[in-house]
Amino acid sequence: MIDLAANLLWMFLVVIGGVLISWSVHFVPVGGAPAAMAQATGIGTGTVQLAAGAGLTGLISAGYTMQVVDNLPLILASGTVGAMIMISVTMIVGTWVYVYGVGCVPSSAKVKVDPITHDRQDLYVSQGTEGHGLPTVSFVSGVIGGALGGFGGSLVYYALLKVGMGVAEVDANMIGLVAIFAVGIFFVNAVIPSYNIGGTIEGFHDPKWKKWPKAVISSFVATIFCALVAVIAISQLGGL
Amino acid sequence: MSAGGDGGEAKGGLPPNTIIGIGAAGGLIGIYLAHFLPATFSFFGGLGAICAIVWGADAVRRVASYGLGTGVPSIGMISLGMGILTALFGLSVGGIAGPIVAFIAAAVIGAIIGVLANKVIGMGIPIMEQAMVEIAGAGTLAIIGLSTVIAGTFDYAVVLETVVSTGFIAMIFIIGGMGILHPFNANLGPDEKQDRTLILGVEKAALAMIIAGLASSINLGLGPAFVTILVGLTVWYISFNKFFGFVKRDAYAVVGTGLLPSEEELQ
Amino acid sequence: MEPLISMGVLALMGVAATIAGASEDLESDVGSQSNPNSQVQLAPQMMFPHRIYNKAVSGEPPSNALMCAIGATGAVVLMGEFNLSPLFALVIGALIAACVHGTFAMTSTMGRAASQSRFKQPVYLDMIRSHTPVIMAYAFITTFCVLIISYMMNVVLGHPFPLPLLAFIWGITIGAIGSSTGDVHYGAEREFQQFEFGSGLNASNSGNIVRFGESGLRNGYDNSWFCAKFGGPVTGIAFGMTVFLGSWITTVFDPAVSITRGWLSAVAGVIIVFILIIWNRKIEVAARNNYGPYKEDKPEEEAAA
Repeated sequence: MIDLAANLLWMFLVVIGGVLISWSVHFVPVGGAPAAMAQATGIGTGTVQLAAGAGLTGLISAGYTMQVVDNLPLILASGTVGAMIMISVTMIVGTWVYVYGVGCVPSSAKVKVDPITHDRQDLYVSQGTEGHGLPTVSFVSGVIGGALGGFGGSLVYYALLKVGMGVAEVDANMIGLVAIFAVGIFFVNAVIPSYNIGGTIEGFHDPKWKKWPKAVISSFVATIFCALVAVIAISQLGGL
Repeated sequence: MSAGGDGGEAKGGLPPNTIIGIGAAGGLIGIYLAHFLPATFSFFGGLGAICAIVWGADAVRRVASYGLGTGVPSIGMISLGMGILTALFGLSVGGIAGPIVAFIAAAVIGAIIGVLANKVIGMGIPIMEQAMVEIAGAGTLAIIGLSTVIAGTFDYAVVLETVVSTGFIAMIFIIGGMGILHPFNANLGPDEKQDRTLILGVEKAALAMIIAGLASSINLGLGPAFVTILVGLTVWYISFNKFFGFVKRDAYAVVGTGLLPSEEELQ
Repeated sequence: MEPLISMGVLALMGVAATIAGASEDLESDVGSQSNPNSQVQLAPQMMFPHRIYNKAVSGEPPSNALMCAIGATGAVVLMGEFNLSPLFALVIGALIAACVHGTFAMTSTMGRAASQSRFKQPVYLDMIRSHTPVIMAYAFITTFCVLIISYMMNVVLGHPFPLPLLAFIWGITIGAIGSSTGDVHYGAEREFQQFEFGSGLNASNSGNIVRFGESGLRNGYDNSWFCAKFGGPVTGIAFGMTVFLGSWITTVFDPAVSITRGWLSAVAGVIIVFILIIWNRKIEVAARNNYGPYKEDKPEEEAAA
């Protein structure tokens, strides 16, 4: 019989990871379709996809590190750093395109003054748009979002792999199963918050950011059930 | 616009319950046939997946017509995210009832996420709960169906060995998800018609079947793989031609070449 | 592993990633995909019918993940079942993926045009016939390069994830990067070149995309011709940097050697991120000083514009 009590800690970590992923999406500055036309502040893509791109890049790093060492902080750090690198590289190149290719000055329409640099923002917003490009505050927010997403994804992967290690030797079956479960949990927790923020957000200075508890609660509940089925499915590896 | 429909109920065509029946029953029957019959008939799993994917595409059509606030693809990704968890969970504990257990688990998790989306997040889409149940169920059946094509059975150990550890599960994840989300996304617009969207679902599911058939050759050998690919190609050819026929029926004009419509025409 | 060999592998992966990024962006420009495509979709409704491909497969990340996962599946089958050499297997896998992507592209452009019949948007078959092979060609290059990266990681660097899963994840990543960087050049600049440079897109001009070329009607070739000068290459740099820097920190500071090395790799990554934050700030300040005029400077000019 499956020993759920023994896996309570790992299930808890999976839920924490899911909640962090959900929270992280609120930090990633995405403007959706309007941003791709320099019509809104943020990166011109969808929330789910950018968060998933960063978080799963982190998962690749964490998966590699987990292969060579069994040290939780280091695995989490490598996942976090991998996601941070992906998202900051994307944002710096996004800034090149906005500034050099499109000729727009980074500016936010949601706040009058950048909370980090204290620069005026409203002066630079072009007529008929809701800001464009990535001002410093959005960039920093994006880095935080990437870090949280990579951290959460790695935590889910680590915890699920530990569940598997409890019942059987690590082999290709287990790695494949755990990795695809981590991807599945990642997508569930990336879509829920994107419905919460309606697809676009500028970063943690955006008024919409304050809605995060709703998504985090939803993700918390949803991830409990996801963790439950994942842990049971992985525990069955022991009986094979 | 990638941001989804204009906020109204999807209209016309077959009633939802008919498609739910076809999707759930057809999906399960196909999976069980593929499981019990010899490996040569593993293509039945693909036919089951086609039923499930068409059902999922119809559910996406109904829910995305209300406008999701973000792209249509998101709902396909969440459905397959849930689907991958519940599919493997069902197979791991259910034994011979695996697909049914997976289906029920998917319905439960789908219902929970649907309720959360409406009650906590406040999306206010009246059919959100039902749609999430349907999409999660369809995604689960599509994953199990395609896995059965590759493994020849839905036995947990065999599926792990042939589908999960080889990584084909990632291909199933995305091709099943695209089968569910692409038909409505590709037909988005005010003159979208249900039959055109659903036949596109069949076409995409047939592609999924062909690729799964290709992958099955490692485990089942070339014979069964060849049969699956042949059946898949036939379904694909028929459905693609039907889709093109619907495009010719529905489009303002299908022209070999030409200039833009003139000012007078646009009036 | 020998440090020299791992550096060589890393360099090859970086090169493949750069090519993949550039071709990914051009693929989405010639066919018009993802967020900029919302304007192509909107144009007929605003009485601007056009001859531009409407490749609404899905967002770029899922469609690229699909290509790469199918390509990897094909490659695994060919290597496992037919004992083909990896190079052939990766090429043929990418070919299969490109064919599948071609059907996705065709059904989406035809479906979207047919769903706009009330706006009198015709389906131009010659445009579909001429553009689909180009889309498939770019898709082939992208898939092949991503498969090389995934294969290298899996076989040479010993990453535990199976090949299709690695290719799937890199497909999501390359799509996310492509739609975040290069697409903006297509959406904000090339589609709206008839409006003032450097002002973003005024919401009142939405849907009024450029439909006429230097001679004749504008098509996807013209768009990829323009984006190949800037949007495509920078997307390549972005994906190349992501793959290269992400692997570089663990190659130079290998966590397998010692835990301390592992922590150094994390520190190196954080330093890189801080440099990029500062770089972004520098660009922001430089742009504000050099561009303009802004509202406060010359209110009457702004009002006239």
